[in-house]
Amino acid sequence: MTLPIPFAESRATVVGALALLVVAWLLASRVALAQPAPSGSGVAPAPSASGLAPTSAPGVAPAPSGSGVAPAPSGSAPPAGSSAAPSAPPPGVVVPKLVTAPDVPYPEGAKGDATVALTVVVAKDGTVREATPTEENKPFSDVAAEKVKTFVYEPATRNGVPIVAKIRIEIVFREPPPPPPPPRVALAPPLPKGLPPMVIEQVDVRGLRAEAGRTASLSRAEVRQVPGTFGDPFRAVEIMPGVTPIVSGLPYFFIRGAPPGNVGYFLDGLRVPVLFHVGAGPSVIHPALVKQVDLYPGGYPARFGRFAGGIVAGEMQDPLERPHGEFNLRLFDVGAFAETPFADGRGSVAVGGRYSYTGALFSLFSPSTILDYWDYQGRATFDLTPDDRISVFAMGSYDFLGQTIEGVDEPLTLFGAEFHRLDFRYDHRIGNRGRLRSAFTLGIDKSRISQERNTRDRLIGTRTDMEYRLSPEMLLRAGSDAQIDSYDVQTGQADLGPSGSTLLSLFPSRADFVLGARADVVLTPSPRFEVVPGIRADLFASQGATAVGIDPRLATRTKVSDRVSVLAAAGLAHQAPAFVVPVPGFTPGGIRGGLQKAVQQSLGLELAVMTDTTVTATLFHNGFFDMSDPLGATAPQPPSCPPGAFPRGTLAGDRGAGGGGGGGGGTCGARFPQGTIGTDRSGGGGQGSETSGNSLAVSALEVRTRGRSYGMELFLKKRLTSRVGGFFSYTLSRSTRTFENREYTATFDRTHVLNVALAFDLGRNWRAGTRVVFYTGVPQATDPSAPSTSRLPAFFRVDLRLEKRWNIGKTAWLSVVAEWLNATLTKESIAQNCTLAGCTATYIGPVTIPSIGLEGGI
Amino acid sequence: MHARTMRLSGWRTACRGGALSAVVLGLYLVVPTSCTSTDPAAGVDAGPPPCEQECKDETGVRAIRETMKLIYNLTLQGKPVGEQNAAVACPKGGKAYIFGTATSNADQGTTEVKLTYEAEACAYEQRDDDADESYNVVLTGKIVQEGTLAVQPSTSTALVMKSENVTLTGMVRLPALDYRAEACKLEMTQNGNKLTATFCGRTVGVDL
Repeated sequence: MTLPIPFAESRATVVGALALLVVAWLLASRVALAQPAPSGSGVAPAPSASGLAPTSAPGVAPAPSGSGVAPAPSGSAPPAGSSAAPSAPPPGVVVPKLVTAPDVPYPEGAKGDATVALTVVVAKDGTVREATPTEENKPFSDVAAEKVKTFVYEPATRNGVPIVAKIRIEIVFREPPPPPPPPRVALAPPLPKGLPPMVIEQVDVRGLRAEAGRTASLSRAEVRQVPGTFGDPFRAVEIMPGVTPIVSGLPYFFIRGAPPGNVGYFLDGLRVPVLFHVGAGPSVIHPALVKQVDLYPGGYPARFGRFAGGIVAGEMQDPLERPHGEFNLRLFDVGAFAETPFADGRGSVAVGGRYSYTGALFSLFSPSTILDYWDYQGRATFDLTPDDRISVFAMGSYDFLGQTIEGVDEPLTLFGAEFHRLDFRYDHRIGNRGRLRSAFTLGIDKSRISQERNTRDRLIGTRTDMEYRLSPEMLLRAGSDAQIDSYDVQTGQADLGPSGSTLLSLFPSRADFVLGARADVVLTPSPRFEVVPGIRADLFASQGATAVGIDPRLATRTKVSDRVSVLAAAGLAHQAPAFVVPVPGFTPGGIRGGLQKAVQQSLGLELAVMTDTTVTATLFHNGFFDMSDPLGATAPQPPSCPPGAFPRGTLAGDRGAGGGGGGGGGTCGARFPQGTIGTDRSGGGGQGSETSGNSLAVSALEVRTRGRSYGMELFLKKRLTSRVGGFFSYTLSRSTRTFENREYTATFDRTHVLNVALAFDLGRNWRAGTRVVFYTGVPQATDPSAPSTSRLPAFFRVDLRLEKRWNIGKTAWLSVVAEWLNATLTKESIAQNCTLAGCTATYIGPVTIPSIGLEGGI
Repeated sequence: MHARTMRLSGWRTACRGGALSAVVLGLYLVVPTSCTSTDPAAGVDAGPPPCEQECKDETGVRAIRETMKLIYNLTLQGKPVGEQNAAVACPKGGKAYIFGTATSNADQGTTEVKLTYEAEACAYEQRDDDADESYNVVLTGKIVQEGTLAVQPSTSTALVMKSENVTLTGMVRLPALDYRAEACKLEMTQNGNKLTATFCGRTVGVDL
């Protein structure tokens, strides 16, 4: 999607040129969906269990999700099941308006649909004093009466003075469809003319723990309004609190101090080896296939394991009941997604993908650069019975970054990666109490660099996933998984210097095995308190070495009031040694140095300010042990010899000293700790041509560090699909590392990280948005000429977005979107250059992505 | 070549911070060095100079020494001093074992070795712009190495390496020339960069 940083820097020009096209979106705010929504508790097919229609409060409609009610924008379809027409209030009287409405769950053990009418007395303070069903229809009427009493209204007024009011509302219960074969999404009934026909709007990007509390969430419609994400739900993770970028525009993050290699990516429980295309590319999964994305920055549920940093988990959209599709067209890639049911809705087939044709674009301004990528997804499902579904899901991705060299036919490979997955699934519904999924996975990962050097991982895995409601207050979640990875590492015609040899020994050809089992219980002893104790165990085996990780987890959610909840989470997480960033097939072997460990804990407040505005504030502390974090293994050093290293100019026999490429300039030798065997550096040729950059970096790959991070996260959001919406995401944190008994600020520690976005509805189907990103510079080495300067300069950028949408008939739409990441063309400093006269910051970029695109759907 | 030069300058600057160097290097560890050493077009029209047995032996001895270095660096570097006994799969095929003792004096910057290398069809390949530094060989035999390895400045490498039975087969130099030395006696000394050997009864000297 854009040039990698080094290119950008070497050219010292605006890397802009990559016009992205973006796509239109689906306007969520004006659609009443009968679409099921994710279960709040995870079991009861929570989806749209209820709808609310306060008959005296026009403007309130059923929420699209089962989480309660939301005010419907004007013109929304009337709620299904609502039969009572609003009665006109007396002159001067304003009827109560619903402010908050907790979930009204579908009653345990009930059958069929039901509508319960209630007479509700709303007190002057907005609370519900009485809620009386007009007729008894157990258990629906009991549940409705109990839950409605927790609703909060803006009180009715007469001439501006609050008064007690009696209103009549209806709660509509719909029997949830079987969860295990995921319910097919029913389309909304035909909408009034002029309203945007929208179907898939339920993509939520959630911050923090969905189970312990959805303290921050963005719907897919909202994601499309966030400038700089290009409508990609996975890229929206970068705006979440606790997420610290490495470099602006690159989709690799530190999450609460944990390095990118310790962040796991999952889609429907299936691990995705790399989530984004090369450089600042889009995610490898078409957005139309993604229902929601959850970010778990710590203390995550027991079903996630073998990662000691954070979890980014996507969930696929359920099949719809009628054919639908989307496309997008950009200057350098095209993407599409289509799905259709068959066999009277018992089955479905979906295909999607993206193909890049960047060659033509790059030929305009960088003829020697080759950047290609593509991805694909396919899914087929078939319901054997109402309770049993079989499905197969395939996905894959390919990236190539290379350069053409004059006089040479084959391009020079700078980096290439691809992966493929084939996932067979069987879902079974266990009555009305739970579900079971069994899956079997085949996969292959490949990465390659120059000189025929490549790695390949062929894997086979299986997993089970079960949820079962033991009682109304107790939900059991359990599962297991196992995987064998066969790594094949080819060095090609390699010049193996000492560092190359060491690197090779860290990533050998081998077979690895992992086995995991886990369980947790969602306990809800009272409607105001939820606690989730859990545990998982993982066995790691590689090159004859084995290790076991036992990870207890605990999360609670305490509802202090109707508007305020307290969220807490804690857990232990183990992970095998990891590489710097996720690279397919490139994983250290042998579990050298043992497992990485992280102790994660957080405590937060969730506040519902209004129906479309939420605030979360979270304190966190993570402790890291035996980290394989190459980025944090060394304290900031000036570009000279670090402690423990030595000038290399006089090294006997080392002809490679002082020259060559690679980082570091070749002025320093490798560390030579007391009590260890030194490197055989004698001689010239490939083996002797060692550079300090290489040796230091390989050393960093080997060492283990301790670390910790702590801080505060603040997230305020007003629904971005509102007429004026936006969010404020701020993280104040400190991350440190300890190595060789010395504690220092972590390499990519950023004290302040701020994301602020505003989205405006300009009318006539025009929408505009802007986003401001600010973060503190990374720590720098001490500069004798400016000892008070401890960090590189801060970074600031502005992203812009503008969209015009047309509705074509009742079911089709088309959008043109212009978007610009880093419209301020700000350069970023991530390094310094020191001389005898002092140090100066060196800059890269600006990394900028202007984009214009076309998107449509039907 | 121009394109590669631009890329390298970019990496180098980016690496200066130390932090990013790990990222860069992890992904592209060997690319920088390869870019300075590999030029497919080099020497194509020059025509190979004549190379007789001594000429081929020079590359053969170099190959033995650098294969030993490979085995050593794959197994021992960075490990605790003392008795050693390690095995490794050679990257291009075959196996190798290394055992004996290695002690270090980090203050002086030296490692003292008394090691035995045992190669079982250990394959190794080097390609370089210099024809006499390119080879693709398979080494079999047991070689005893004793002496000092220089790891830091102000010291010098001084090694003696001996074997009663070494077999080295494959190709040496570019363009590749067949090379076969079977069951040969080897006596080799290294003093700094200079390598002097008696191999198969023939005396060879080469600067590493």
